[in-house]
Amino acid sequence: MAIKFSLIITTTTIIAIANPTTVPSTALKNSCLNCHTKQKIPSELIYRRYLMRYSTDKKMQKRILAYLKKPAPSNSIMPKQFFLKFPMKKRLDINGSILERDIKGYLDYFNIKNKLKVSNNSLSPIPK
Amino acid sequence: MLVSEKRSLFRFLTIYLSSTFLLFFSATLILYHYQKHNILDTQRDTLKSKAYQISQELRKLHEQFNPPLIYPSHPLSAIYNSNRNYIFGSFNPSKPLWEKESYIKNDNLFYFFKLEPYYLGAKYVLVSQKIEHGEIIKLQKTLLFFLLIAGLFFSLLALVLGRLFTSPMKESMSRVNRFIEDTTHELNTPISTILTNIELIETLYDCKAKKEMKRIEIASKTLSRLYDDLTYLKLNHNYHRAVEPVDMGYLLKERLLYFQSMIETKSLALKESISEDVIIDIDRNDALRLIDNLLSNAIKYNQKNGKIIIILNQLNLYISDNGIGIKEEDLDQIHERFNRANKSEGGFGIGLDIVGQVVNEYGFEFTINSIYKEGTEVTITWQ
Repeated sequence: MAIKFSLIITTTTIIAIANPTTVPSTALKNSCLNCHTKQKIPSELIYRRYLMRYSTDKKMQKRILAYLKKPAPSNSIMPKQFFLKFPMKKRLDINGSILERDIKGYLDYFNIKNKLKVSNNSLSPIPK
Repeated sequence: MLVSEKRSLFRFLTIYLSSTFLLFFSATLILYHYQKHNILDTQRDTLKSKAYQISQELRKLHEQFNPPLIYPSHPLSAIYNSNRNYIFGSFNPSKPLWEKESYIKNDNLFYFFKLEPYYLGAKYVLVSQKIEHGEIIKLQKTLLFFLLIAGLFFSLLALVLGRLFTSPMKESMSRVNRFIEDTTHELNTPISTILTNIELIETLYDCKAKKEMKRIEIASKTLSRLYDDLTYLKLNHNYHRAVEPVDMGYLLKERLLYFQSMIETKSLALKESISEDVIIDIDRNDALRLIDNLLSNAIKYNQKNGKIIIILNQLNLYISDNGIGIKEEDLDQIHERFNRANKSEGGFGIGLDIVGQVVNEYGFEFTINSIYKEGTEVTITWQ
């Protein structure tokens, strides 16, 4: 029994070290993802919209925070026409530092770097 | 080919070929750089289009949700965010040169491609590939071949032109040489006759006009030496030297006796210090021409009641006079044939040319110091 338990713990640790962001944190799940999943709002699509427009995590974090603190079409990543069809999200009643932590968790969870891989058949020698 | 003709041709060829080479080399260098630039531009354009293809791949990856997102591996590329921080890539170059759109480093061509919008958060794609040297080497070979052909063509042209330019000089020199040849030939018999008859008169008859006879003898000897010098110059090209040990002291004394009448006529004070056993390996005729010309100059260009100092030892032969001297500006050209520093005395200006030729032939050292209107010192060092 003890051996089984330690094996499970080891395997979980290895997976976590190898791919630390594949599993969202509970806080992120509770604050964001659960609701997004329920309402069928694709979180990754929104992440990529932010990524495509703002490029850096810092800028994305700033824009998401601004939107969540004051949800308005001018702060949103979505086009204005989107809000003609869908209602505006209600302001979240979450503490600022918690919100920042959750946004960081969100950005880490969807971070594109962790999903990219390069194929091994590189043809040229790598220049410095 | 005459020495002067050779020298003129050499000078012409040097100037013409070096200036032509310099011109062609500069033009080829400019052309090479221009063409190389074009080749690199073409490679850069290819790299640019590859960078565009990568940007399209990035767009597809951005739209693809299911990981893993396979990043294109060829050509080598890296993506950077708007803060120029590395995101991902098939390589990670150290210190990219952001201030340039494209650059060459370590034989690799780099190109920055800007993305808009920022697929995968990338604002910049840096692509790189090794420079293909095939075309550059081909260009180098072509230009080298062109230079070689041009060099060959211009060398031949220069040779033809050179010969064309020096031909009038060659003709003049040939005419002078032919004249000397004819003159010497015609002079030989009468000079010999005069000298033989003077000797006969002095031996067999008691001639009352001794002073006049002396003058005739001096004039005839001068003519005879001139004949010898001219013959020496004429035959010098084909002359087979019989190099043998020659007692220079004995020869010098013998020649002083020969010049005795001239020395007496000018009332010159002769001071001599001639060492015994100065044996030099030399052709006898060469030694004769060397001594005769130096003595003759010391006598001819001396003043009346002047002085001549002659020192011969194992090291050198020194002859000085306190005659008219040579101007400083004339000293450089004094060895050249037909060049006379002083036109007041007779002669063709071939004396020091002959001395120079003998000195060069045997590797002696020839130094001449002179002060105008004070005198001249000539030293022949034997080694």
